[in-house]
Amino acid sequence: MCTLDALDPIAVYVHTPFCPTKCGYCDFNSYAMSGGIMARTTAATVAEVSRSPWRGRPAKTIFFGGGTPTFLPIEQLVGLLEAVFRVHPPLPDAEITSEANPGTVDAERFVAMRAAGFNRISLGAQSFLDADLVRLGRVHRSGEIERAVGAARSAGFANVNVDLMFALPGQSLRAWEDNLRRALGLGTEHLSLYGLTLEPNTPFYKEHLRGALILPEDEVQVAMYEAACAVAAAEGLAQYEISNFARPGYECRHNLAYWRGEEYAAYGPGAVGCVAMADEPRVFERYTNLKHPERYCEAIENGDRVAYDRERIDDTIRRIESVMLGLRLNEGFEPKEGSVSRRAAAAMEARGWIEWSGPRMRLTGAGRHFCSEVTAALLP
Amino acid sequence: MDQAHIRNFCIIAHIDHGKSTLADRLIERCGAIRGIAQEQMLDSMDIERERGITIKMAAVRLTYVAKDGQSYQLNLIDTPGHVDFTYEVSRALAACEGALLVVDASQGVEAQTIANAGMALNQGLEIIPVINKIDLPHADVERAREEIEMAVAIDATDAIPCSAKSGLGIDDILEAIVHRVPPPAGSPDAPLRALIYDSHFDAYQGAVAYIRVKDGSLKKGDRIQMMSTDSRFEVDSTGHFSPALTVDLGLACGEVGFVTAAMKSIGDAAVGDTITSATNPARMPLPGYREALSMVFCGMYPSDGDQYQELRDAIERLKLNDASLNFAPETSAALGFGFRCGFLGLLHMEIARERLEREFGLDLILTAPSVDYKVTRSDGTEAHISNPTDFPAPHLVNLVEEPIVTATIIVPTEYVGAVMTLCQERRGTYKRTEYPTPQRVILHYVLPLGEILLDFFDKLKSQTRGYASFDYDLAGYQPAELVKVDVLLNGDPVDALSFIVHKLFSYQRGKAMVEQLRKVVPRQQYEVRVQAAIGAKVIAADTIKPFRKNVIAKCYGGDITRKRKLLEKQKEGKKRMKQIGSIELPQEAFLSVLKVAE
Repeated sequence: MCTLDALDPIAVYVHTPFCPTKCGYCDFNSYAMSGGIMARTTAATVAEVSRSPWRGRPAKTIFFGGGTPTFLPIEQLVGLLEAVFRVHPPLPDAEITSEANPGTVDAERFVAMRAAGFNRISLGAQSFLDADLVRLGRVHRSGEIERAVGAARSAGFANVNVDLMFALPGQSLRAWEDNLRRALGLGTEHLSLYGLTLEPNTPFYKEHLRGALILPEDEVQVAMYEAACAVAAAEGLAQYEISNFARPGYECRHNLAYWRGEEYAAYGPGAVGCVAMADEPRVFERYTNLKHPERYCEAIENGDRVAYDRERIDDTIRRIESVMLGLRLNEGFEPKEGSVSRRAAAAMEARGWIEWSGPRMRLTGAGRHFCSEVTAALLP
Repeated sequence: MDQAHIRNFCIIAHIDHGKSTLADRLIERCGAIRGIAQEQMLDSMDIERERGITIKMAAVRLTYVAKDGQSYQLNLIDTPGHVDFTYEVSRALAACEGALLVVDASQGVEAQTIANAGMALNQGLEIIPVINKIDLPHADVERAREEIEMAVAIDATDAIPCSAKSGLGIDDILEAIVHRVPPPAGSPDAPLRALIYDSHFDAYQGAVAYIRVKDGSLKKGDRIQMMSTDSRFEVDSTGHFSPALTVDLGLACGEVGFVTAAMKSIGDAAVGDTITSATNPARMPLPGYREALSMVFCGMYPSDGDQYQELRDAIERLKLNDASLNFAPETSAALGFGFRCGFLGLLHMEIARERLEREFGLDLILTAPSVDYKVTRSDGTEAHISNPTDFPAPHLVNLVEEPIVTATIIVPTEYVGAVMTLCQERRGTYKRTEYPTPQRVILHYVLPLGEILLDFFDKLKSQTRGYASFDYDLAGYQPAELVKVDVLLNGDPVDALSFIVHKLFSYQRGKAMVEQLRKVVPRQQYEVRVQAAIGAKVIAADTIKPFRKNVIAKCYGGDITRKRKLLEKQKEGKKRMKQIGSIELPQEAFLSVLKVAE
């Protein structure tokens, strides 16, 4: 997990912060901007990658997220990936993902992306109901989802994920089940199914405070989640994390690195990386880059540091995070000495929310609804 | 200073009629402080300034050269304006020979004007009416004069019009103090008798007694004796207020000042007590001493049970400073170890809580305030009960008596109906009506103390658009049909949530209590049944559905720190909850009783 070897493989994340529009629920570092600032930001990100302190460490996974990476002109997207390859040569079996918006892709683009080296596509479908997509503020329409999956397949992508959201305003259990069936009908290797979360600083949150957002009752949300797990399993997509399902062998290895507490390097505005400290390999440092593209570009162009926030992830914090993240995984985790309260663990087990498999602790199906509750209880 | 040139006076007024501003102007005019940086300089505690009220009395010695060319020592004693502190006001008045009765020219006479003026008259003080704020657009000096004559029953022909804000009339007031307030009586040669009218605690000097020398004199090195306790001390220092404490050579007969004598607690310098000489004691103390009487009681518990010792230390230290705070340890099945505390009133309680939390960094849970009931059990034994937990079961009670007050409410004629309705809702007994002027009515009621404790004054204000004023005096006990309502969570009574209420209101309050709890208690892992019951009889019930989920949907590389902090906060929040059996209660739950009276 921690390493002294400069050539130890590492997960690499690249953030592209631009979107055609900003969605009502989104609190990611994204901006509805385009034009000159995109090219400038791409150039700055290429520069950041080139002067990486972790130059030479091979990439075991690469993940382009955003924002909307496919909103970038294709030559910029390819340029960025090439820059990463120069600094972090990919392992032969490296998983190389790009998020994609069904409204910003076409066959030609997918072909170019595949040729450049991407081998996994993660499509933000969210819903197959146009009314939902409008309410969410998405630029695409449901018809484009199937076309996008088809185009990805034709371009040679054998590993495709589709994101869906449930517990949407006004959504019924039945509408969600329809959505699930249509998503499974696409035959993708991977599904991410997210319950809508109201994040502060989003238009949805403000609507919620005004009482203008009518969300499904807790009981309905629970039923939606249970339906998702059941239907996915029946179609051969096994749950491996709270919100993620995959055919065997297609689990997202990049995301697994987060949940298993491994290192990840990150580039681009607002990107968050977490890497062992050079002089203290047992301790990680989590850094956050300047968020606003202009500020980020200025810093890079002036040769200044772009990581404005640096957090020391020492043993204690790593233990806490190992519980928080490990519980999310169906494989569970092996609690380190002193990382969980034994008494709380016994209480959670008695309640039927956790179970043990040898030295590994994991949530039960019932416990999965209460992941945060269990985590808070287990922390000493 | 010779007695003939000393004048001791105070300012009495209804709240907001401009007492502190007038004090500031008098101080300024006499040059005690030049260039006032802070308004309301007599109010020194932060809380006082924030709330704009006077809690702790202070005093100031002014030197005034009158128009007759002679120099006078004027001692201005400040008095608290809130009804919680009536006894303190009476002791301050006892230290004076005269009082400025300040009436707002646009508001006229209000309830506390009458109450305080009545006290001043009882003490035999010379009262100088002052009509303030005459420069305001709605000022009506003549009406105010008329009201003073009608409602306070004193001659207001010579009432002095003034504007404390602009300084208008200040010289007239100072001349009136010199010529109308009598110099102190008392004999410089008699054995020492000095009235303690206030005190504060100083970490270095111990209790500092604020005194008025009635007979004899006092200086450093004198052996003194407290007449209520016979405890003896040696005087470390004497001095006066300028307004800061200023040490001087001694206090002569008739003077006002302070004395320190290595007194270890504020209780050694009890307000109302008489200081005499230990070597040549007076035969009789000055009249009027009584122990501070608690009117309102509540349980105070640390929200973190481990902080009991810290709370004990903090309350003890607060007590050094606040003689009218009473406390005794108590335990609650729900809240653990804490204290039953007695206060002069609700404001006093809030101030104590605020000071404990602010000055000692504590996080407290307060149970709902209660008054002191007299209960006669079926076996004939009697008990004073201020904690609902101790209230016997219905079949063990023969008679319950509750404290009552005589209340004076002054209100413009058009609101009489609303006020009478409110008083009836609060189980008031109508006594009589006075009509001091065609526009105003004085209503006299007897009301149960427990009914006016919480929100009576707020309700009164809101139903009279702020025009009503209110004052009350304790008037003993009267029998009432009172019952204890218990609150049960999943069948188990939670002692800290019980409350005592009149039988007539018990169903309504029980129901409101259950509703309020359903609002403030978060969903739990299991269904929670909330019931209100009198004895074994359930009078209201509801359930809190269990929560169904608590999970973070997304947690990727950029989310981890924020989500971890969220969890840590959730964990902290849980720690601050009180675990009652398997149920977690937030702090607001224990104040639900306050909300249900509304």
